[in-house]
Amino acid sequence: MIKRLSLLLLLVGLFLINPHCANVEQNQNIIKSVKVKEVPFKDVRSSIWKKAPVTRINVIPQNMTLPSLQTPTIQYINVRSLHNDNWIAFLLEWEDKTRDAVVDVNKFTDQVAVQLPLDPKSLPAFMMGNKGGRVHIIHWKAIWQDDIEKGYRDVQTLHPNYWVDLYFFSEPMIYAEGEFPLQPTTVDYFITPEALNYIPGAYARNPISIFHRTQPVEEAIAEGFGTFTTQPKQNAIGWGRWEKGVWKVIIAKQIVSDDPNDAPVPEKTYIAFAAWNGSDKNVGARKHYAPWVELVVER
Amino acid sequence: MSVTSWLTSKVKNWQIRREMGYPYEESRPEKQIAYVFDINKCIACQTCTVACKTTWTSGKGQEIMFWNNVETKPYGGYPIKWDLNILKSLDGQSWDKEGKYNGKTVFEAAPPGERVLGWLPEEEDYSYPNIGEDECAGIVEKGAFFSGIHKAWMFYLARICNHCTYPACLAACPRKAIYKRKEDGIVLIDQSRCRGYRECVRACPYKRTFFNLVTRISEKCIGCYPLIEKGEQPRCVQTCIGKIRLQGFLSKPDSPQKDNPLDFLVYVKKVALPLYPQFGLEPNVYYIPPIHVPKEFLYQMFGPGVDKAIETYKGAKDDKELLGAFLLFGSTDKIIRSFKVEGDYALGFNDKGEMIAKVPFKEPVYIRPYFDKKVGTYRHNIP
Ligand code: SF4
Ligand code: SF4
Repeated sequence: MIKRLSLLLLLVGLFLINPHCANVEQNQNIIKSVKVKEVPFKDVRSSIWKKAPVTRINVIPQNMTLPSLQTPTIQYINVRSLHNDNWIAFLLEWEDKTRDAVVDVNKFTDQVAVQLPLDPKSLPAFMMGNKGGRVHIIHWKAIWQDDIEKGYRDVQTLHPNYWVDLYFFSEPMIYAEGEFPLQPTTVDYFITPEALNYIPGAYARNPISIFHRTQPVEEAIAEGFGTFTTQPKQNAIGWGRWEKGVWKVIIAKQIVSDDPNDAPVPEKTYIAFAAWNGSDKNVGARKHYAPWVELVVER
Repeated sequence: MSVTSWLTSKVKNWQIRREMGYPYEESRPEKQIAYVFDINKCIACQTCTVACKTTWTSGKGQEIMFWNNVETKPYGGYPIKWDLNILKSLDGQSWDKEGKYNGKTVFEAAPPGERVLGWLPEEEDYSYPNIGEDECAGIVEKGAFFSGIHKAWMFYLARICNHCTYPACLAACPRKAIYKRKEDGIVLIDQSRCRGYRECVRACPYKRTFFNLVTRISEKCIGCYPLIEKGEQPRCVQTCIGKIRLQGFLSKPDSPQKDNPLDFLVYVKKVALPLYPQFGLEPNVYYIPPIHVPKEFLYQMFGPGVDKAIETYKGAKDDKELLGAFLLFGSTDKIIRSFKVEGDYALGFNDKGEMIAKVPFKEPVYIRPYFDKKVGTYRHNIP
């Protein structure tokens, strides 16, 4: 009996000291978006976020298509939502011991995404939608956050000692400050069509190979596995911070937009989530997800 | 989803003499790009490597990329241990007496949650393309140099993408960003569709797709398709110093054309063999095995056809047609679609039947005077 009691006390104690357990909305199936005057789009620490209740969204490893994720490393995402009648924003927080914001053959970046249905009345499949049932995805990546804040994550970011005599047609032919051979540290030199010939992803205008991102998020539509398609018009915004083993990422979109590929935000709709842990080599379908959750926008 | 339900189609793989599971239906191209590399002639000059590098992968983000590389076997490998890693995880690679493969392919051996049995190299694994270069498998005993044949061996293995009939890279891509061209079987990564998941890098057992650090998507050998479309052989073939390479098109396995040099060498004479056919991809670079290497090593690498291939190769001096086909290696930049031996010449023709190569079986000998009066200089005669 005493043993049981002390276990109970210990559990209660843990609950109290764990910041991610405190103040958690009991009903896991509803996220309430609270109206405020100003949404702190870039401030994950702003006290305004406290006005919104936290909903703990459990995530599970993707197990519906191949490749799948065998072992989860993320358990849940704590979600808060604010809006100001024009924009709706989500603050997503989840534990991740490592901040992974570079890519290499065997290195992957941390990521998170939200998904809303284009037609909330006939809800498509929660995993990337289905044929005829489109979903709007807003996808944030840690590497994009760093691209914007610190400059494009380049070869020399990862491998400072990579040494190349010459990149063909790079413009201008840089012989940096009396140094030879040159060691360009930015892709900005590669602007001529000839030089871009050697940067095929950029030449083909692949949305992954964008050197001058303005937002760390990408908007896409999808209607089933493997159909993720970048929207021609990018109007969502985002911002992320990693603090003491916790990612805090804001993703925001317009409530009413003239982009036909954007999901509407009526008073009641649905939202789904996905999260990737870079250090565990999560990428693409190797992800954690949470199916549709009700999203209530308090007007 | 289990692996068996994922491999929805049964396809015919002539190299392992059986049907195998694959996620897509059998759909052979009208003609399949294919190559024959004569390992016995390669001198590891790396001209092919440099030709490819300067043509396609000199850009930022491609620093460690070699779509073509030449490594020294047994120890060399780019990326490091590309072959050892996959061989180790693919259990029981046995063949029966009829040449049928009894083990599992990389598709059939996929572990739970995966599309293909594979592994992902580290960045560092690409950083030593010349590791093991010129290292022999063992020490040459004292005096053995002079006594004739010694036991120490090594050989050069030139490698490019195999433009496989059943590509693992294509099967593994969840975005269907990789496709195989109907007109020539060249396997390409759509540079606007790839999202850099690196599933192909993980899946290709030959490690012939590469991740670009700057564009953050994957790339691979494109078979020099702009040249192919003009009726020319790829850069690595055109520039080969050792004239070890011949590129052409392979017919479907059930309808070989004897006058097509590729069909002749691969299907008819069976002198050129696929690399690790047991992986199940039906790769389309065919190698004439090195004749001086222990058979066990070669069986593992090229399957059960090794003995016959070496025997045939050694007999080429008495087989004018085979010798003729060999003479056409490196004889023209154009793609030879058919060939014949006429008198003391091997003749190669393009798809219109025009002669594009004429190679004598014996080069004529010219003896020039020691002193050339016309230009007033001394000359040596070189055999
Ligand atoms: S150019 Fe030819 S001989 Fe030289 S390394 Fe390449 S394949 Fe071998
Ligand atoms: S060798 Fe590798 S990259 Fe080339 S087609 Fe085959 S599986 Fe794809």
